[in-house]
Amino acid sequence: MASTSCSVKVAGETGLALAKSSLPPPRPKSPPPYPDLYGKRREAARVQMLEREIGFLEAKIKFVEGLQPSSRCCKEVSDFVVANSDPMIPAQRKSRRHCRFWKWLCFPCLSVASFCCCCRSECSCHLRKPKCCNSTCCSCVGSKCFNGSCCSNSCCCPKPSCPKCLSCPSCSCFRGCCCSCPDLCCCIPTCFRSCSRPSCLNKKSSCCSCNCNCKIKWSSCFKCPKLRLCCCFCNCKNTCSNPCCLAF
Amino acid sequence: MSVSELKERHAVATETVNNLRDRLRQRRLQLLDTDVSKYSAAQGRSPVKFGATDLVCCRTLLGHTGKVYSLDWTPERNRIVSASQDGRLIVWNALTSQKTHAIKLPCAWVMTCAFSPNGQTVACGGLDSVCSIFSLSSTADKDGTVPVSRTLSGHRGYVSCCQYVPNEDAHLITSSGDQTCVLWDVTTGLKTSVFGGEFQSGHTGDVLSVSFSGSNRNWFISGSCDTTACLWDTRAASRAVRTFHGHEGDVNTVKFFPDGYRFGTGSDDGTCRLYDLRTGHQLQVYHQANGDGENLPVTSIAFSASGRLLFAGYANNSTCYVWDTLLGEVVLDLGELQDSHKNRISCLGMSADGSALCTGSWDSNLKIWAFGGHRRVI
Repeated sequence: MASTSCSVKVAGETGLALAKSSLPPPRPKSPPPYPDLYGKRREAARVQMLEREIGFLEAKIKFVEGLQPSSRCCKEVSDFVVANSDPMIPAQRKSRRHCRFWKWLCFPCLSVASFCCCCRSECSCHLRKPKCCNSTCCSCVGSKCFNGSCCSNSCCCPKPSCPKCLSCPSCSCFRGCCCSCPDLCCCIPTCFRSCSRPSCLNKKSSCCSCNCNCKIKWSSCFKCPKLRLCCCFCNCKNTCSNPCCLAF
Repeated sequence: MSVSELKERHAVATETVNNLRDRLRQRRLQLLDTDVSKYSAAQGRSPVKFGATDLVCCRTLLGHTGKVYSLDWTPERNRIVSASQDGRLIVWNALTSQKTHAIKLPCAWVMTCAFSPNGQTVACGGLDSVCSIFSLSSTADKDGTVPVSRTLSGHRGYVSCCQYVPNEDAHLITSSGDQTCVLWDVTTGLKTSVFGGEFQSGHTGDVLSVSFSGSNRNWFISGSCDTTACLWDTRAASRAVRTFHGHEGDVNTVKFFPDGYRFGTGSDDGTCRLYDLRTGHQLQVYHQANGDGENLPVTSIAFSASGRLLFAGYANNSTCYVWDTLLGEVVLDLGELQDSHKNRISCLGMSADGSALCTGSWDSNLKIWAFGGHRRVI
């Protein structure tokens, strides 16, 4: 009996082994990649925009091919200027035209001092040319004295003290106006409150322009003109709070 | 198409765009056979010469208590509106220096103001991102506040400049830090058109200034922090008609040349430039380096009546160069004259008849300049 069951068992095992050898070994595969539909659409949109731009550029090149050279435009500018009178220019005129500008000088004014000079023959102001200052100009590089007239009021120009360049010790000041900074150095005070440290974006100019990002989601970045400072107040609902105090 | 194929197409298209741009740049350079100064010198044009007292400050308008940021003349009647950091609009009689209106603004951070063509309303805008309209015939309340007659809201950034459409009291254009310009219907308060804002249809930086053509009120120019100026047709807002390159810094100010077919720009790169509207040519660069070799940003410009003079205010104390536009030379600095401003000149405007220039400054004053010299009559 035992031998029978044994032989049967053996036969069964042998059969299983035969069955196993005919099938290829299992090779588990990686799951199929998730279709990046968003990425594909984004790439397709970029290509579409570039192809649209190609169309515009080809149209521009065709347009430029038929253009006149700049000398023709310069002639038009010159001809226009010469053909039109100009109340602001000292010029000789063949015909006497109505002097519109005399109203500025001949209008009665409480303060005579507001007129520096006046006409004589064409206007009946009878105001005399005031005496120009007799003081000599300070020794000041770039100062100018006009012939027989007043020196510039800003002739003496002591160099004002430079403001401190904040957060940028290697900045230097010139002309008392603003600091010049080496690259990667923001010479502008950092952002307010919860804003992260600004980073320099515009490496071309000597003073970097800075942006800052608000960490708190519900606060809004109030974009300031020119210096592009982004002042992130926690509550920007009141737009009249002037977050741009530095640049304004 | 697979992503890899798309990426390959992207690379090819990018290279094509760069090649075409280069071809365009080269072709434009070939067409620049001269500029205005070389042409005028070859024609033997005489330089403009000012005597020491030819251009004088005839009026100083005192009243603001903060920096003056913007001014505008009426087309007639010699009135000026000015906007200041003190949060007020003041309307002046330029001949008498008297103030006719002092309007307290709901938001003090104003950047721009403009007169309507009929002179009966003024518009202003600033950091509050809206353009407010005030009627000058409204009566002030007991606090002296004039009510806002219309608020134009919709910009998503500060309003940097506003200008009425010539001869249309019901329409005005605003430029904004949100990179767009908008044409508004003032009677309804609604946007009529939006210029730019979509990728590659307009500016890619804050728009700082607009100017309308005197010859064609459907055209206007805008200047932007993206270093370009754009020509727009109000009837077709989808894309700029033409983009003008050349500047290397923010274009702070734009103004049409008196003939309506050219325009001037002023930039942070320290230059003013003259462009031709129809061809896109850059006709002239006006640049004078200062003693330190630094470029002073140009804040504002104005042309004289004939276009022979270009007045340019710079971002330092009181410098205002008067350029001879034909010969490309500085002929005068208003900042060096007697009674000049004591701080930066932030805005300029020429009167409608070309007889006077008004300057506004961070010293809180406005000044009016006119010709005070002799004219020799043959």
